[in-house]
Amino acid sequence: MALAWLLILVGARSEAVIEGSVALPKTRSTPVMNQRYEIVSKGGVIATNPPLAVVYLEGDFPAPEQAPVVQMPQKDLTFIPSLLPVRVGTRVEFPNLDDTFHNIFSFSPAKRFDLGRYRPDERPIPSQVFDVPGLVTLRCDIHEHMRAVVLVLATPYFVVTDEEGRFELTGLPAGRWTLKAWLNSRTTLEQPVELKDGGRVRVEFP
Amino acid sequence: MIAADNMPVSVRQYRAKLVVAMMLVILTLTVAALVVAQRNVAAGVEQELQREFQAELAALHNVQELRHAVLAERCRSLVRKPRIHAALEDDALDLLYPSARDELRDVMAAERGEGGYALHAEFYRFLDRRGGVISPADQPDGGALLPHEEAQLALPGVPERQQLGYLVRRNEAGEEMMSELIAMPIVSGETGEVIAALVLGFEPATFAGTRAVAGIDRGVWLGGRLRLKGLSAAEESALSEELTQAIARNGGEPASFERTVEGVPHLVFYKKLNPASLYPSAYEVCVYSLGGMLERQSELRWRVLGAGGLLLLAGFGASHALAKRLSRPVEKLAVNSEENLIQRVRAEAALEVTHQELQRAARFSADASHQLKTPVTVLRAGLEDLLAREHWTPEECREISALIHQTYRLSGVIEDLLLLSRMDAGRLTIDFRAVNLTELIDAAMDDLGTQTDDLELNVDVERPAALWVSGEKRYLSLILQNLLENARKYNHRGGRVRVTAQAEDGMVRLNVANTGPAIPAEAREHIFERFHRGGVGENVPGYGLGLNLARELARLHGGELELLRSDGEWTEFQVSFRLAPAAGRGV
Repeated sequence: MALAWLLILVGARSEAVIEGSVALPKTRSTPVMNQRYEIVSKGGVIATNPPLAVVYLEGDFPAPEQAPVVQMPQKDLTFIPSLLPVRVGTRVEFPNLDDTFHNIFSFSPAKRFDLGRYRPDERPIPSQVFDVPGLVTLRCDIHEHMRAVVLVLATPYFVVTDEEGRFELTGLPAGRWTLKAWLNSRTTLEQPVELKDGGRVRVEFP
Repeated sequence: MIAADNMPVSVRQYRAKLVVAMMLVILTLTVAALVVAQRNVAAGVEQELQREFQAELAALHNVQELRHAVLAERCRSLVRKPRIHAALEDDALDLLYPSARDELRDVMAAERGEGGYALHAEFYRFLDRRGGVISPADQPDGGALLPHEEAQLALPGVPERQQLGYLVRRNEAGEEMMSELIAMPIVSGETGEVIAALVLGFEPATFAGTRAVAGIDRGVWLGGRLRLKGLSAAEESALSEELTQAIARNGGEPASFERTVEGVPHLVFYKKLNPASLYPSAYEVCVYSLGGMLERQSELRWRVLGAGGLLLLAGFGASHALAKRLSRPVEKLAVNSEENLIQRVRAEAALEVTHQELQRAARFSADASHQLKTPVTVLRAGLEDLLAREHWTPEECREISALIHQTYRLSGVIEDLLLLSRMDAGRLTIDFRAVNLTELIDAAMDDLGTQTDDLELNVDVERPAALWVSGEKRYLSLILQNLLENARKYNHRGGRVRVTAQAEDGMVRLNVANTGPAIPAEAREHIFERFHRGGVGENVPGYGLGLNLARELARLHGGELELLRSDGEWTEFQVSFRLAPAAGRGV
């Protein structure tokens, strides 16, 4: 019933939807109480803990007319969110909501930068434009445990799964695409999808 | 003492043996002292060297510990650096060395500060997760290393614990030098995993500092080759070869061996510097010259030998003197025996002569007595025959009686002489028996009584009922008669004679005292001599044999005769005899 209603809704917009789930790796550690997602690097592999995945539709999409702006504040010595997928060309602002200095930097090849130390009331809000697709690990030079991942994607269609691995990607254009699921810095799964206007496709990443 | 040349052969041999024995003892002692002293020195030096080696190793260990501590701290602080993490994890190795620059600046400081050589690295490199070397490429931060040198820092995998290694490299001047490597894992604070390693190259602690003790060289054996300063190439390679074999033999255990280097014996100690390391094994090698020890040993040997020589010399003198002294009685004995022999022969000859003379004298006395007795007896018999005739006037009778009386006196003298000659010849033996002296005294008193009528003497006798003495009755009687005869002869008319006898202390003492003129003091010494008659007048009959005979007889009986007093009031003689043992006494 609800599904039919949804189909009607999507069809009305003539946009496709992909829903499904990604089999997330089992983690031994219990979920963090305050639902934070840490970026961990284990064996040279960067992932979130508890695991999350980013599902995105790969393809050659036209560049946006205006650079989108996203915020990734630091609060309680944590990046929020810790895993941030952005479209290429996005400006990410890093407001400091703590009472202490932060020093955001990245050595990642996709984006090297160093914001230097800045106060909570630093204005303009320090920001960076991520214009190369790839994984960018953010760290704070002052707080060694602070880490975040900005996944720069050449697509406007992406979504972060919930902790069960479920996702729903909406507003997709019809066509033959490759659906990818980023699990960690080393693992990205992909499946071809064919989307029709108003169509709904279910994709399971095993 | 007789001269050595004249010493009998046996004595000379004895003395020589004594000297040889003593010399042997001294020689043995000297050799023993030498051996013990030398062994002590050798053991002492070896112990000292061992201690030194251990101390050096301990010092080395301390330096290494310090470095490890510093390095571990460095790595802990490095791993806290987000930039290091970022460089390592985010595929930004080009930024690794610049990121670590600040952290390791003091470690790499060109100017050596307070920490000294121990904490200043010559170079450093990071190892990646697989143990491979992350090259700083063109950046100068990690210190200069040639590519093949850098490659030697690599490990089979990233180390879990610190690793100690050694690297032979060339410095800017092209000189070969050795570096001590310490590889320290960089452990992620979050996951506990080893994300990389830091390798620091130090100047080896072994080569640091100057030679602490003269005669000790230290080096490192690495990969079959020993590098020891101040050793010729040939010696170095020979020692390397030997060390390689010894290390293979002992399986890496610390050990030591002796070896002659450039003609001087050396003691070589070695100990693994980096046990359980992933880097190739390296050994600390200490080469101790035993030259000093040998010098000391030889010095000591000479000293002991000198002392031994002195001892030997002194010993020789002492033993000679001692031998001389010890052998003196033997020599004397030998000499004496010679002299004795002569003297003995002489004495024996003299004795023989004396004996013969004595025999002759005794025989003469006996013969003479015998020859005299017979005519006297004949004379007396003739006179008695003559007296028996009846035609003699009383005057003639008295004269003949006097002549007869003289023959008795003559017989008495002859008897006495005979007895004395027998005593002188040692032919008189006393037939000891128990004799009752009281009986003898009583008998003698009776005889005296018959002779004293004309003198009107008062005689007192005081004696126990029985008094047993040891002796021969006839001689004891003779002694008593002689004493009583004297007491009567040298008395005056109406005078007194007192005879007392008693036993005391196992002896019997018989005192005979008479009144009469005193014996002059100067005559007292001579009254017991033969034919001495004191100062008595010619009117007193006698020949001066009585007292002599009595004393000789008393002595033969184990007693004595002596004059107790002669003071004009009393003249008292005392004769002592041995009390007869109760067993031999008659009834």
